[in-house]
Amino acid sequence: MEAHGVHYAIEVIHWVALGVMALVYVLRLLWLFKFKNFRDRQAPGENGDTTNWPALYSLGNVVMPWAMESTRKRPFFYVTFVIFHLGVVAGIFLAFISSLNRPFLEEPVVASIFMIILAAAFLVSVGRILRRLLRPVMRLISTPDDYFCLSLLTVWFGSGVLAEAHISGHLHSEWYLTIYLALTSFFLLYVPFSKISHYLYYPFTRFWIGQTLGHRGSMPASRG
Amino acid sequence: MSTEVESYKIQKMVELLAPKLTRQVVGSLVGCVHCGMCHETCHYVMTHPDDPKMTPSYKADQLRKLFKRHYDWTGRVFPGWVGAKPPTRDVDLDELKDIAFGTCTNCRRCTFNCPMGVDTATLNRIMRGLLTQVGVMPEGVRVVSKDTWELGNQMGVLKEDYVETLEWLSEELVMELDDERATIPIDKVGANIVYTINPREVKYDPRTISEAALIFYAAAEDWTMPSWGWDQTNFGLFSGDDAMGAASYRHLQEKNAELGSQRLVISECGHGYRSTRCEGPNWSKTDQDFVMESSVMTMLRYIKEGRIVVDKTKNSDPVTFHDSCNNARSCGFYEEPRELLKLVCTDFQEMYPNRTENYCCTGGGGAMSMSEYTPRRLVSAKVKADQIAETGAKVVVTSCHNCVDGLGDLIRHYKLDCQVKQLVHLVANALVLEECAISKIPKEKPVPEPVPEPVQEPVVIPVEIPADRVKIADALSGRRILIVEDEEDTRIFLATLLQDAGAVTLEAVDGDEAIATARAEKPDLITLDLSMPGKDGVEAFIEIRNDPDIRDIPVCIVTGHPEFRKVIYDRPVRPPEGYMDKPVIEEDLVANLRRILETSRAEGS
Ligand code: SF4
Ligand code: SF4
Repeated sequence: MEAHGVHYAIEVIHWVALGVMALVYVLRLLWLFKFKNFRDRQAPGENGDTTNWPALYSLGNVVMPWAMESTRKRPFFYVTFVIFHLGVVAGIFLAFISSLNRPFLEEPVVASIFMIILAAAFLVSVGRILRRLLRPVMRLISTPDDYFCLSLLTVWFGSGVLAEAHISGHLHSEWYLTIYLALTSFFLLYVPFSKISHYLYYPFTRFWIGQTLGHRGSMPASRG
Repeated sequence: MSTEVESYKIQKMVELLAPKLTRQVVGSLVGCVHCGMCHETCHYVMTHPDDPKMTPSYKADQLRKLFKRHYDWTGRVFPGWVGAKPPTRDVDLDELKDIAFGTCTNCRRCTFNCPMGVDTATLNRIMRGLLTQVGVMPEGVRVVSKDTWELGNQMGVLKEDYVETLEWLSEELVMELDDERATIPIDKVGANIVYTINPREVKYDPRTISEAALIFYAAAEDWTMPSWGWDQTNFGLFSGDDAMGAASYRHLQEKNAELGSQRLVISECGHGYRSTRCEGPNWSKTDQDFVMESSVMTMLRYIKEGRIVVDKTKNSDPVTFHDSCNNARSCGFYEEPRELLKLVCTDFQEMYPNRTENYCCTGGGGAMSMSEYTPRRLVSAKVKADQIAETGAKVVVTSCHNCVDGLGDLIRHYKLDCQVKQLVHLVANALVLEECAISKIPKEKPVPEPVPEPVQEPVVIPVEIPADRVKIADALSGRRILIVEDEEDTRIFLATLLQDAGAVTLEAVDGDEAIATARAEKPDLITLDLSMPGKDGVEAFIEIRNDPDIRDIPVCIVTGHPEFRKVIYDRPVRPPEGYMDKPVIEEDLVANLRRILETSRAEGS
């Protein structure tokens, strides 16, 4: 089959995959909210805050590396975390903008930004695979799903670089983009069933822990 | 639940998990991405770098596997793929027990360091609860749980012993202050404050009760102690048994309602404060309907309101503060103790890290009652020991009885040159009684007694007793005490101390000699070391208790091996009347022996 024909079919599939992902996410959230809510029955702590501020603060800790010792003491790890997640965002945008507004991605500056981010995320991802394989503690806590997700993302980041290189005219075969879109579709379909769905839970888990501990007075965390 | 499990107990655990699955718990179960960020934040990891099983997420994964396999459909369909392979046989439960009870103090430090907001400590507590409910738990947890259910307090203190101790302390205080208003009121209806304590205070550290009573007296407080429902600690927090947690909390709640008090004050105890103030209402499913506060808040308020006046120069040793994990991380209670500390001592040094980032004393999560894990606990205590040593402080202050034991243990183990105190000690010591509220209330005039005829007394030249020995002098006047101790230096030290307190001492260097001397001399009390060559203290203790001639002689264990506590208390004989860890604080030893003698005499009469 011609690359163009396949490309068109994949484009359709990846929009369908997006719909399926959204559907499974909704089901996942319904499932989560089926469990009863915990309400702290104690009166607020002496230093407690019953507003939503501690919960929002907790939610925002992703952009506050100083808020937790685990990120404060490991700035390099935090930076790689940021790059990795920027890579995911860039990768998703690349897939959808390529079918909605391809000329935008052809702009040299835009193309360079996408390629740099995706290439950096690729390197971080390779580093993370090695970390998971080489550190006994990471091996102990890793499941096949953890390895697979990381490998999938690594390949996806790599293929994203090639796809953008194709879009911006550096590589000529349409297959680079077609393969990238196929991977994206698979990624979108697989995500809700895998640990990558953590970003669905993230806002809730952080909000809840902030709410509970804020009510008691220990969130925002304090150190002297 | 779609999957079969081989073990009945595990099947039960799966069922028992269902009611514990709140949205927040499920969030923590599904939210972990195995990133390892929490790894280095745990004191077990820091001190066992070659053991990957110490990492927090591995501990939480034990519950996660069970949950995923039975409650999350991805785990039901692809168990191997998503790490949903929980144990299926009874023999595996022992390993789960060791993980949940022996490698985590539920300190919540990792919780505060998880970017996903996963509450590993709560997951570990749930695992403990499931294991406990199917009868898999460390022996210490079993014993304490039994005492809690049967006697309403976690150290098995009998009601009469508790009341007698309070009465004895009350008499002492009245005598010392020569003021009837210093009485410790029991079950006074309508008092402003109901004061609840940790059973450890009655059993091993009655001085903290006297000191609290002194502070209430100085503040002219209208207070009382309950005769029942007085144990503010709650082993349900450690065992994970919510039903026990609820029952223990209800004792306090009901007694407080019966006494019609406005405020329940919780003596300095981290897990007690958390269980009573924070978790009790949740476990018992009742909204908090009365004021509860830590005695730290009470003392601070008294100073701020001018009801007590303190002189901080009375506490001039360099002092540092250890945050109890339960107070700081689970209750947001860390500034008030510092505020109070700065008011009652002159040289406060902060310990780093602190507050919500502080390290566990390693005695938390009920670890002190699980002697099988003591060696690992003491290794993990190195982090805390280094933290303390770095401050250069001579006194570590903490607002937690559990931490007092945990820190005391690590101070001995790592031979640090400091001691542990609580704020109540420092506040009581700094009191300027003549300026406190009580001094402004005139004493009711006592009915004058007939004045006896003056007798010509011989002139006595007063012997100056150093201030810190005033309480010791004559406290044991005329009592015959047998000191059983193999180390000569310690024996001489104890003998001198007890003789200074007015006791007549006898000595024995091993178990055989102890039994022979006890039979021949029938002393009023025996202090017994446990670790001795030949017949050791444990054997000697059993023999004493089984000998009808000497079984009634009260025994106070004085040992450098706190882990033997369980060995002694598990014996099928009457437990010792006292138990003290070495090195002993002179005043504490004398006060304890005096309490034992007084209460034993009262029982005998
Ligand atoms: S508990 Fe949190 S920090 Fe620890 S591995 Fe899981 S997600 Fe990472
Ligand atoms: S709760 Fe404390 S002891 Fe337990 S795993 Fe977390 S950091 Fe370690």
